[in-house]
Amino acid sequence: MSDPKLPPPLPARPVDGPGSPRDVPPLPGTHPIDPATLPGAIRDELEAPDPVAIDTASAELRDGINRCPKCGSTDIRHKPGTDLLVCQYCRNEWHGERVEEVFGFGEGIDTLTGTVVASGARDIAADAAALMSFKCSGCGAEVTINTENAMTARCHWCRHVFGINEQVPNGAVPDAVLPFHIKKDDAVARIRQFVDKRRLFALKAFKDQFKPENVIGVYLPYMIVDARASAAVAGEGEIETRRYTRGTDNNKKTYYDADVYHVERQVDFTVDDLPLESSAERGNLDIQANTNNIINTILPFDTKNAVRWNASYLSGFSSEKRNRNIEHLRPRLEDQLLSIARAQVEGSARRYDRGVRWEHERLDVHGTRWVSMYLPVWLYSYHQPGKNGGLLHYIAVNGRTGETMGSVPVQQWKLLLAALTVGTILEGLAIAALVTMA
Amino acid sequence: MSDENGLWLLLAGPAGATALYWALYRYYRNTDKSHAFERETTIEATPVTGTDTKVGTVKGTQATRIRGDNLRDYRARVRRVESADTGTAQDDRRDAHD
Repeated sequence: MSDPKLPPPLPARPVDGPGSPRDVPPLPGTHPIDPATLPGAIRDELEAPDPVAIDTASAELRDGINRCPKCGSTDIRHKPGTDLLVCQYCRNEWHGERVEEVFGFGEGIDTLTGTVVASGARDIAADAAALMSFKCSGCGAEVTINTENAMTARCHWCRHVFGINEQVPNGAVPDAVLPFHIKKDDAVARIRQFVDKRRLFALKAFKDQFKPENVIGVYLPYMIVDARASAAVAGEGEIETRRYTRGTDNNKKTYYDADVYHVERQVDFTVDDLPLESSAERGNLDIQANTNNIINTILPFDTKNAVRWNASYLSGFSSEKRNRNIEHLRPRLEDQLLSIARAQVEGSARRYDRGVRWEHERLDVHGTRWVSMYLPVWLYSYHQPGKNGGLLHYIAVNGRTGETMGSVPVQQWKLLLAALTVGTILEGLAIAALVTMA
Repeated sequence: MSDENGLWLLLAGPAGATALYWALYRYYRNTDKSHAFERETTIEATPVTGTDTKVGTVKGTQATRIRGDNLRDYRARVRRVESADTGTAQDDRRDAHD
């Protein structure tokens, strides 16, 4: 019970200690403790530059509606075979902005430092949902889009077309999209041609069910990486100095003498637009478990022509969401940079005519730039039943260049029979030759 | 192999059968294919520098190539050594490659 004669208690002391709302935020790059007094490992981490983000979001499309600049209609589609958008109402056509020029993605690779990240390539928020709802400005209905496999939807009442144009933190919206150039008829013809050349030993069920018209246009998520790196390799190489034979006529053996050298090589290089699968499933290239190497083989794309993200390009196509962040992909990038370095130094070691055994390699990545991009692929798939859920075979057509690659399931008994027949014939010839010699 | 009776000719049957099986299997399944990023990516490199030091000689070997030749096997990872930039020790990345 408080005494009514006593004055009310004083207000609590305003919060002004460290971390309080009144605390002035430190200037970027400054720290409350002098980093020079900290151990080296912590100091390096504190002083390392933050990833730089290039904002590629389209603020004008945030409400999900992409309007024709001429008539205001929202029914906008991609014109097949071109990079143009076309209004289905007034037939107005216009071209998307190329990200290469708008954001300067093609420049400055030789001066890259740190990790530069375009805004569509940022880390995926752990709690982000795949479903996005829009309130239709035409009729007020709620339109939901599942970003796992689609980026556009039509209002079921008033036919407004909605697209996911805002860069939602679930990795569904990349920085850029490369529109399909190869039309469906063309893709069907290429797939048919590919399979026609592989019919003899193809699985019967596959041949029976083969309908290339069922091909689906899919936008697959990739990270397009520019990098500046230095690499060094060391090992041993041998140069032949003498070759001679020993032994009698029937038992001659060749011997070699060689000089052994310790070989070291260094190279600095830049890589422009290296594509990495940013979907975990598609990035798993284990050929024992899947046929994703088929989709990997149709790389590269003409990524220089990619346009700024606009969901209208995806109208009528399926899409797959990115689920890999930069840090997941970094080991793969380093692996590929090392491979590139090894390919670069090969020419400088040709004098070692008995080969080189590289034993150590070193890679210093000075700078990287990451851009998230949707790339167009025509996919025909066939599921072969079998152990552990069977195997999914793909025939993939690059939606820009038309490069086609596929995996056709094999009728094992036919293939074995053919191999045994040829083997038997060869054996017969060999025995005949031996008999003649005897 | 180089038997004077020419019995090695008897290997022609099994060898031919195996070779045909694998050639056809690969033609259908294309398990050996992947994106050749080493050739198909735009790469600008400075001239390669390096040193070559003679460390010894080999006499009278019957091997036609150096043991463990990996000059053209770009994707086979070898021991990764410490990076000069970060000062962090890198692990052996012999596994994951395409």
